[in-house]
Amino acid sequence: MTIQGVSISWPVLAPIVALTTGGLLIMLVDLLSRAASRTVLYAIGVLSCFATFATMLPLYGQTLTTLNGAFASDRFSWTFDAVLLLTLAITFLLSSLPRAEDGGSSGSYAALLIFCTIGGMVLAGANNLIIIFLGIEQLSLALYVLAGTGFPREASQEAALKYMLLGSLASGFLIFGSALLYGAAGSVSLAALGSAAANLTGLFVAGFALFLVGIAFKLALAPFHTWVPDVYQGSPLAVTGFMAVAVKAAAFAVLARIVYVVFGHDSIALIPLWVLAILSMLVGNLGAIRQRNLKRLLGFSSIAQAGYVAVALSGVGPGGLGAMLFYLVAYAFTTLGAFAVMALLGDGSEAYADLGAYRGLHFSRPWPAAAMALFFFSLAGIPATAGFYGKILLLQQAIIGGGWGIALAITLVLGTLVSFYVYGKVVWDMYAYVEGEEAQVTGNALAPWIAVAAGAIGTVVFGILPQAFNASQPFLSVATK
Amino acid sequence: MLIDTVIFLPLVTAFVLALIPRSSTVVLKAVALGGAVATFALSLAFLPLGTNTVAEQSVAWISGTWLASYHVRIDALSLFFVLLTTLIGAACIWAAFSYAQVPRLRGYLFLILSFETTLLGLFTAADLLLFYIYWDLMLIPVFLLLTGYSEAPQARRAAWSYLIYNGAGGLVLLLGVVALVSQTHSFEVLGTAPTLSLKMEWWIFAAFALAFLIKTPAFPFHSWMPPTYTYAPPPVVAMVSGVQSKAGLFGLLVFALPLFPNASHAWAPALLIIAVASTLYGALTALGQRDAKTLVAFSSLSHLGLVWLALFAFDITSISAGILMMVSHGLIAAALFLLLGFIEERVGTRDLSRFGGLSLRAPRLAALMLIASMAALGLPGLSGFAGEFLIFIGSWQTQPLLTAISLISVVLACVYVLKLFQSSMHGPERLPREQAWLELKPREIWLVAPLLAAIIFLGVWPGWLNDRTPTTLPTAPVSSFVGTHA
Repeated sequence: MTIQGVSISWPVLAPIVALTTGGLLIMLVDLLSRAASRTVLYAIGVLSCFATFATMLPLYGQTLTTLNGAFASDRFSWTFDAVLLLTLAITFLLSSLPRAEDGGSSGSYAALLIFCTIGGMVLAGANNLIIIFLGIEQLSLALYVLAGTGFPREASQEAALKYMLLGSLASGFLIFGSALLYGAAGSVSLAALGSAAANLTGLFVAGFALFLVGIAFKLALAPFHTWVPDVYQGSPLAVTGFMAVAVKAAAFAVLARIVYVVFGHDSIALIPLWVLAILSMLVGNLGAIRQRNLKRLLGFSSIAQAGYVAVALSGVGPGGLGAMLFYLVAYAFTTLGAFAVMALLGDGSEAYADLGAYRGLHFSRPWPAAAMALFFFSLAGIPATAGFYGKILLLQQAIIGGGWGIALAITLVLGTLVSFYVYGKVVWDMYAYVEGEEAQVTGNALAPWIAVAAGAIGTVVFGILPQAFNASQPFLSVATK
Repeated sequence: MLIDTVIFLPLVTAFVLALIPRSSTVVLKAVALGGAVATFALSLAFLPLGTNTVAEQSVAWISGTWLASYHVRIDALSLFFVLLTTLIGAACIWAAFSYAQVPRLRGYLFLILSFETTLLGLFTAADLLLFYIYWDLMLIPVFLLLTGYSEAPQARRAAWSYLIYNGAGGLVLLLGVVALVSQTHSFEVLGTAPTLSLKMEWWIFAAFALAFLIKTPAFPFHSWMPPTYTYAPPPVVAMVSGVQSKAGLFGLLVFALPLFPNASHAWAPALLIIAVASTLYGALTALGQRDAKTLVAFSSLSHLGLVWLALFAFDITSISAGILMMVSHGLIAAALFLLLGFIEERVGTRDLSRFGGLSLRAPRLAALMLIASMAALGLPGLSGFAGEFLIFIGSWQTQPLLTAISLISVVLACVYVLKLFQSSMHGPERLPREQAWLELKPREIWLVAPLLAAIIFLGVWPGWLNDRTPTTLPTAPVSSFVGTHA
């Protein structure tokens, strides 16, 4: 179909259309039936995730573009879309808990989550600067509101305000950088930027630098990470989990596509990323040491994990893209699992955001404690978990990169060693020998258990049989035009 | 298939335990011991394995950027480590029956059994990825056992030094493994001769050696050991010192020495000095200890230093004697730590200056203790002597000076072992608390007896083990890298 010279391929856009329909349906149900419980609304949300996934199935393994090449659907975006949908579905499960915060309006909360995810899916396939900006704004605007849905909790309002102010600043960098890049290349398409990148002009470098600042903010790569602890701590639990996975995945989708389409995997222009990766690995892990709030701790951990993922984009070996995807998928399962345990124990409330609550948990709640330990071991990269295999893939790429890559490998290892303490501390708290600990009565709802199980299965299966993931990615393709 | 059963039976038993209510202690104990003993019985099935035959099994696992297989094997070398693990594992599970914190017993048995599986996995791994996975995975049960299952608050601090030290070693090893595999594109390196530049080989071997030195441990890298050995519950120490301390040396024999023959010679002088330093430092420090477990911990450092000497003397006799010494040390250390655990349960202290004269009222305990400590001292007729003696004969050929220096440790061993034995068993009866029952119970006798029997057996007939091992190293026979030593 062609409208005013723009060719539109509906099958490629079907996932976005399907999810949008789901979002609109939720708003409609919420409008028409004031009595609709949040369970009904979130059930529609989970169902639209499945429906959207169904529309993605025919696209598996294909490399297609639409909107005159502005939007792509390839193996790469497919994987990101799947991660985003998984995250969304799990967020709905965790939000359905009785004590979960939604700002008093379940309908708009659910719709915002969906629209936020759509922004992420747009980013996963974005193939020119304008679509990238659209996706980023769609994602961020919805998220600013979501961060504040812990209302009237003050920390949540603070989080929303901080996130919005700093996020808008970052968007400014992003759009200004895009403008300069457009000036340098004469086109907004990434393919055209690729040809312009052959000789790096001052304009191009300045544009890319500003663009990178904007993206690094969204990714929370150090030194653009300062908003993370407060926003992660203040936002409602389920939203924080969503933020930690979906935003990261979407922003990495953009960055990776730019790195691979515009620069190839190895270019001098990637040195700033190298610096960001090293700083993030150090800042994230060292910053996490003193945290006593688990959401803050996971915030710092997400900085470090973003640093690990950025290793794959910092001019390393040609397999960087595959390593990055694997690591992100591992990170998604693991982090969602950890947030699910927190939600499970506190029935959706913030009660188990405090590390003190985990003291002796092993003896009162052995299974949630074991699941939490599993997720934290995966984040730390202990073998037989997905995080471990992801890490050795990254290490391999860094070492193949040689020279500068060796520095990445060594920093990665040092950061991991620090993280043994960070994650080990939580496990230590749960398992430490405590005299006469009374068993506490805590949440035990089904929905978060499903999320915990999904996280645990993903973590263990991809850890023991990483081939399951490799097999789904026989070769990675990124649409270039 | 049988290999997998041996490896995973303890883990399966552990998960069965998880399904049994915590309060049914009798059932828990019966299932755990049944699983551990069955594992030992199954591992005996590999005993007829000839000198040059190998039981193995390989399944393709990962392909793509690199290849890995689920490849497990038991040959005449790993057989002894598997047997050592299953024997000590069964003894330790039985010893764990007297664990005082009844509500925690299930987790305790669960973790000890899981630990046994990681050790068995390590000794049977023929694929480098598999080896690494078990290498790192074994940190977790020990970390949790130290954290949650010892009443001493120092144990919880020891958990950190254990985790961070061994974690650091593991990560260094990981760098080495990934660097190696970036060249070979396969984790199936056993029996291959990877083509590496000398510089690369030097660095990768250094990474392997550092990790192995930390795990064993050897002298400057041992600071995690005294607190771990002192404060961990006795069955855990018995497994850590008896079995886990052999993991690095085993990795050296199976992977590092055959894969990096040039680098191992380049590094040999440094490692020999570390070996002799460990031997002397361990012995000298043991002399000054009042805590019985710390004393045995340092004696362990000293004895394993001799094994490093044996391996890097690059002499055919010393290397096969090193293997004998590893097995022998495993048995002796496990027996000693278990016996010291029984003593501590009775007298409530490990401080050698606060108790004594136990032999009067507990002659059986004293008799068993005598065998174990005389073996540690190196009395002829017990396995410790056979190992040490053959090591010295072998290493004398290539390293006479260092061998002569490390002989001092044998003299020192007499001093500290006799101190250990005399101050606990002889002299006037001194007990910090009134204790009606000091003698060992039948369970305690029977669980240590097999270890002591093995010590005597190997002492009388070291050739039974020694004759099988040297020519059957999984890759290049020992003589190939002895030959390259000019």
